[in-house]
Amino acid sequence: MRIPCPYCGERDAHEFAYLGDATVTRPDPAAADAAQAFHDYVYLRDNPAGAHQEWWYHANGCRQWLRVARDTRTHAIAAATSARVSGEPA
Amino acid sequence: MADHSSHDPLAGIPFDLVPPSGAYGAAGEASVTVSTVETPFIALVVARNGFAASVAGRLGRAFGLEIADRAGAAMGAASTVVGTGPGRFLVLSKTEPDLAGTLRALLGAEAAITEQDDAFVTFDLAGDKVPDLLAKGALIDLDPRVFLPGHAATTVIAHVGVTLWRVHESGWRLLVARSYEASFTRFLVASGAEFGLRLENGTAGRG
Ligand SMILES: [Zn+2]
Repeated sequence: MRIPCPYCGERDAHEFAYLGDATVTRPDPAAADAAQAFHDYVYLRDNPAGAHQEWWYHANGCRQWLRVARDTRTHAIAAATSARVSGEPA
Repeated sequence: MADHSSHDPLAGIPFDLVPPSGAYGAAGEASVTVSTVETPFIALVVARNGFAASVAGRLGRAFGLEIADRAGAAMGAASTVVGTGPGRFLVLSKTEPDLAGTLRALLGAEAAITEQDDAFVTFDLAGDKVPDLLAKGALIDLDPRVFLPGHAATTVIAHVGVTLWRVHESGWRLLVARSYEASFTRFLVASGAEFGLRLENGTAGRG
């Protein structure tokens, strides 16, 4: 599997570290239901067959986080964009 | 006749020591030369958020080079600037002992500068067989028709992190973390032996 890094170009998946689902949002730790919300966030992940949005870190390349749209059945990659939008705080 | 046999060019050389200068592998004129003799001054420039284009422009004007925020090597007679990530540049100089100081004066608050003189070993590889040698450990396409002079990449070769660029038609420069010098040199010798390889070691870091 090769990931088209926007800075480096197409690179072997071995250069990257996988984080997981890019669609979930870290819950508010101050909320009343924080314990349950964090349990859901950390452990109850979907395992979709098909289109998936994922975080990948280009550890052995430009050292940037990427948001990758991958089909989990075929490994076909529809898009890979920088996780950080230019101009946003680092 | 090579100094070290082509059957096992690394026989008897301890794993933790950099193999000595000499000829390795196939007899006759070496098709690949590897040298760590040149030790440029090196600094890392990381542009602060929103300043990547400005930093590229300032570096370009100061060193007389065409620099863009991309994975490429801009090379001049005394200095080279290599893109290693968005807004991140490695600067090499033959002539600026206080390169980090010079860059701080040039870029002010637009970038974070760190001196890297002793961080890397600089491998200069020459010869038409270099892409064939590197292909044994590389994950990227280094075919000379694809990876052209001025192209640069930060990647892994033989499981070791490397920033490399093609200097000219038959010359490639690789930066490898200094602690990997022995094992990366072993990879080069073992992989280049079939072509005949001449190794020229420099002296160990500036210390
Ligand atoms: Zn990358």
